[in-house]
Amino acid sequence: MDGMSIVAVVIGTIAFTVAAPLLGCLLAGIDRKISARMQGRVGPPLLQPYYDVRKLLEKDRVSVNASEGLYISCALFFTLLAGGIFFSGGSVLMSVFVITLAALFFIVAAYSTRSPYAEVGANREILQVLAYEPMVLLVAVGFYMAIGSFDVAAALGAPVPAIATTGLLFIGFLFVLTIKLRKSPFDLSYSHHAHQEIVKGITTEMSGPTLAKVEVMHWCENVLFLGWVGMFFLWANPLSILAAVAVALFVYFLEIVIDNNFARVKWQAMLKWSWLVTIIAGGINIVLLTYL
Amino acid sequence: MGMIGFLILFPLVVALVLLCVKNNQARNVIASIAAATIAFASIALTVVYFGKDSFISLSSPVIDYICSAIGIIIAICILVYAVRYRNILAGVLALVQVAAALVFEFGFSHGIAVASGLYLDSLSLLMALVIGVIGSGICLYALGYMEDFQAEHADAPDRRPVFFALMFLFLSAMFGVVFSNNMLWLFTAWEITTICSFLLIGYTRTDEAIKNAFRQIVMNLLGGIGFTAALFFIAVNFHTLSFAEFIAAGAANPGLATLPVICLAFAGITKAAQMPFQSWLLGAMVAPTPTSALLHSSTMVKAGVFLLVKLAPIFAVSFVPSVMVILVGGVTFTFCSFMAISQSNAKRVLAYSTVANLGLIVACAGVGTPEAIWAAAFLIIFHAIAKSLLFLCVGTAEHHIGSRDIEDMDLLFERMPQLARYMMLGIMCMFIAPFGMLIAKWATLVSFVDTKQVTLIILLVFGSAATFMFWGKWLGKLAGIAGSPENDEQTVHRSEWVSILLMVVLVVACCVGLPFISLYVIEPYIATVFGTFSRGIADGNLVIASVATAFVVVVLFAGLGKGKAKKAEVYLSGISVDNEGRTFSNSLSKETAATARNWYMEHIFGEQAISGIGTVCTALIIVVAFLASVASLLGMF
Repeated sequence: MDGMSIVAVVIGTIAFTVAAPLLGCLLAGIDRKISARMQGRVGPPLLQPYYDVRKLLEKDRVSVNASEGLYISCALFFTLLAGGIFFSGGSVLMSVFVITLAALFFIVAAYSTRSPYAEVGANREILQVLAYEPMVLLVAVGFYMAIGSFDVAAALGAPVPAIATTGLLFIGFLFVLTIKLRKSPFDLSYSHHAHQEIVKGITTEMSGPTLAKVEVMHWCENVLFLGWVGMFFLWANPLSILAAVAVALFVYFLEIVIDNNFARVKWQAMLKWSWLVTIIAGGINIVLLTYL
Repeated sequence: MGMIGFLILFPLVVALVLLCVKNNQARNVIASIAAATIAFASIALTVVYFGKDSFISLSSPVIDYICSAIGIIIAICILVYAVRYRNILAGVLALVQVAAALVFEFGFSHGIAVASGLYLDSLSLLMALVIGVIGSGICLYALGYMEDFQAEHADAPDRRPVFFALMFLFLSAMFGVVFSNNMLWLFTAWEITTICSFLLIGYTRTDEAIKNAFRQIVMNLLGGIGFTAALFFIAVNFHTLSFAEFIAAGAANPGLATLPVICLAFAGITKAAQMPFQSWLLGAMVAPTPTSALLHSSTMVKAGVFLLVKLAPIFAVSFVPSVMVILVGGVTFTFCSFMAISQSNAKRVLAYSTVANLGLIVACAGVGTPEAIWAAAFLIIFHAIAKSLLFLCVGTAEHHIGSRDIEDMDLLFERMPQLARYMMLGIMCMFIAPFGMLIAKWATLVSFVDTKQVTLIILLVFGSAATFMFWGKWLGKLAGIAGSPENDEQTVHRSEWVSILLMVVLVVACCVGLPFISLYVIEPYIATVFGTFSRGIADGNLVIASVATAFVVVVLFAGLGKGKAKKAEVYLSGISVDNEGRTFSNSLSKETAATARNWYMEHIFGEQAISGIGTVCTALIIVVAFLASVASLLGMF
C-alpha cells in the first residue's frame, strides 16, 4: 500500500513536471491579456510568457556567485515535488511543507548574493511567509477535520465537499492567496511590474537560465495553489473535479481583478491584516469544526 | 544492572580524577578516553537491553542515606554561595528545601521500601543514548574550546579542573535521573543537575554570571520544593515511592493524583525553563558554550521534559494538570518563537528556540495520547542532536570570527566553509521539512487536532510561522557569499571538529533513518506504555521525507559553490565605486557602502512587548491550576 503511494508520488511528480509549466504558462498569458484589457491596452500575445522564458534560456549563464543557480534548481525541484504529492492525491500538509522548503531555497538564493536589493527582497519574502503560513497550515487542518484525512484523494470519497464546513477558512485562504500568487497589494518581495522601489527585489541578481527557472517555478506554484483552491470543492461525485476547476479559474480571475485595483501596501499592513484574518476566519472555523 | 551502575558511577569517578588533574595534556587524554567509554557503554547498554524493559531489584538504606547526605551537601553549598554573594532568597529556599527533604526522609518515607530502585525501558534507553553519545561528544568538544577560552581569559585563574569535573558529574546525575525508579534517588539526581548548572553558569564569576546563576538556582529550587511536596503527597496518599507504581496508581485514581502530579509538573516546568521561568535559561547563556550545549539544550532541560513525558499516562486521564501543562507549553512555544525573531545574538536565538521546542514537548506530554508521545520522543531526539550541533558551531565560530552576533556571520560561508555548512545543516534540521524536527511537529499537529486542542492548534501554527522567520533569516546570513576568501578554519581544534562531525553524522543518520527509529525504537516504547498506537503520519510520507533529506544533504555538501556560471558584479543601481565592497557613489558624489541587516522587528516581537504578557499568562495558568487541584482535593474529603 505504501509502496503504491510512493510510486503514485513519483508518477504524479513526473506528470506535474510536464503539465504544470504548460498550464501555468497559459495562465500567466491569460493574466497578462486580461490585465491589459482592464487597463485599456491590447496586451501581448497569449504565449508571451513562453517567449520570455525561451529567450532567457538562450542567454549566457551569468551569476554573482557559484551557488545561486543550485539553490534555485532546488527550489524548482521541490516545487515540482510538492505539486506531485498534491495532484497524486497525497497529503495536503506534506505538500504545504515541501512548498515551504522550496520557498526557503528561493530566499536563501537571494541572500547568497549579498546584493542590497536582493537582500531586502529576501527579508520581505520571509515576512510574507510569516504572514501567510499560519493560514495555510490552518487550511490543511480544516481540510483534515472536514474530510477526515490529509490526503487529497480522500476528498473524492467524501459525501459532501469540504467547503460545506470550511467556508470561513476558504475566505481566509483567498486572502493569503494574494500573497502566495505575488499579486498586488501584497507583491512586496518582487513584482511582475517593472522597477519597483527595490528594483526587482528578491530576483534582482537572477538572470538568464536562473531567472527562467524562477519563472517556471512561479507558473508551477500558481497551478498548485489553484489546486488547493479546488480541493475545497471535491466530493464523491467525479463531476466535482469540473466544479473545482471552474472555481479555481474564477478565483484566479478574482485575483487578477484585485491585482489591478489595489496599490501595494506596507509590510506592517500585510502582516497585521493577514494575521487578523487568520485568527478571526481561521480560528472561528476551526472552533466550529471542533465543536459542531 | 552492572551496566547501569557503571554508567552512573564511572562518570563520577572520572569527575573526581579530573578535579585533581591540573595538567592539560593528561586531562585531554583522560577526558577523551572517558567520553568515548561512556558513549560506547551507553550504546552497548541500548543494544543489549533494547526491548527488554525491566525493573532491577535494588533496595538499600545505605543509598538512601547517601542521597540524604548529598541533599545536605547541596544545601550547604548553596548556602555558602548565598552568604558570600548576599543572596537571601536562594539561602532561604535552600534551607526550606533541605528541611523539608529531611523531615520527609526521616518522618514519612520510613517504612516505604522500594523494591526496584532502578529500571530501564525504551524511553530511558533513548535518553541514555542522548546523554551518553551527545553528552560525551560535548565534553570532548569542551577540551578544545576551553583551551581557547582560557587563552582569551589569560588573566583569570585556570579553573578547568572544576569545569570538567562538573561536566562529568553532570552526566552521572543525568543517568541517575533516567534510570531511577526510586523517587528519592531520582530527586537527588535531579538536585545534582541543578547545582551543577548553578556552578557552571557562574563559572566565569563575573557579576552577570553570578546574577544569572542565582536566578537559575532560585527558580530551580522552587521546582525542587515542588518536587519535595509531590513526594509528601505520594508517600501519604499512595504509600509508595516507586515511580512506576505511582504512575500506575495515579492513572487508576486521577482524582487523588491531581495535586502531586501538579507539583511534579511544576518541577518539570521550572527545569525545562518554561514560561514564566524562561529567564534562567536565557541568563545561562553567559556560561562557556559547551555548558550551554550540554546543560541547556541537550540534557538538563531534557530532564524536565523527561519527567513530564513519564507522567503522560496520568495527564491523559487527569484534567487539571493536563490543561496546565498543555497551556504553559503551548504559550511558551509561540511566545518564545516570537521573541527569537527579535534577537541577533546567536546564543540567545538558540536559547529561545530551545525553550520554544521544549514547550512543544511539554504540550505533547500534557496531551498524553500515544500519538503525542511519539511526537514528543522525536522532538527530544532531533532537538538534542541539532541543537548541540548548533551550539558547537556557534562556539567555534565565536572563537574564530570573534563574535556570536548573527550579523557578523555574514561571510561565514567564505571564511569557514565547512563550519558554515554544518551550521546550515543544523538550522535546517531545526525547522524545515523534510528534516526530522518538522516531521515531529507534523505529528504534534495531528495529535493536537485529534484531541481537539483548538488553542494549541492556533498557537502551533503561529509559532511555526515565527520559527520559519527567525531560522530563515539566520540561514540567509550564512549563505552570503562574496569575494576575498580568507580561510579561518585552520586553527580549529581537532577535538572540536571530531565532536561537530559526530553531531553532523547523527543529524543525517537520524533524519534519514527516521522511519526505522520510529519502527524499532519509539513504537515499541509506546506499545508497552499505552498498548495501542496508530501513527498520525503514513509510512509513505516518512519515506519521502527521508529521501528528500538525503537529497538536501547531498546538495549542501557536494553541490554548493561548484557552479560554473560567468562571474558578474552585484547591481547597485547607479554609479558603483567598488562592487566587491558594495560601495557606490551617492548623490553628493561621496562614497557610501551599501549594508543590509536582517529584520528584527523589535517593536512587534521584542522581549519587552511579549515577555510580560507571556509571563503573566503562564503564571496565572499555574496558580489557577494549583488552586483548582487543592479545591478538588478538599472537595473529595
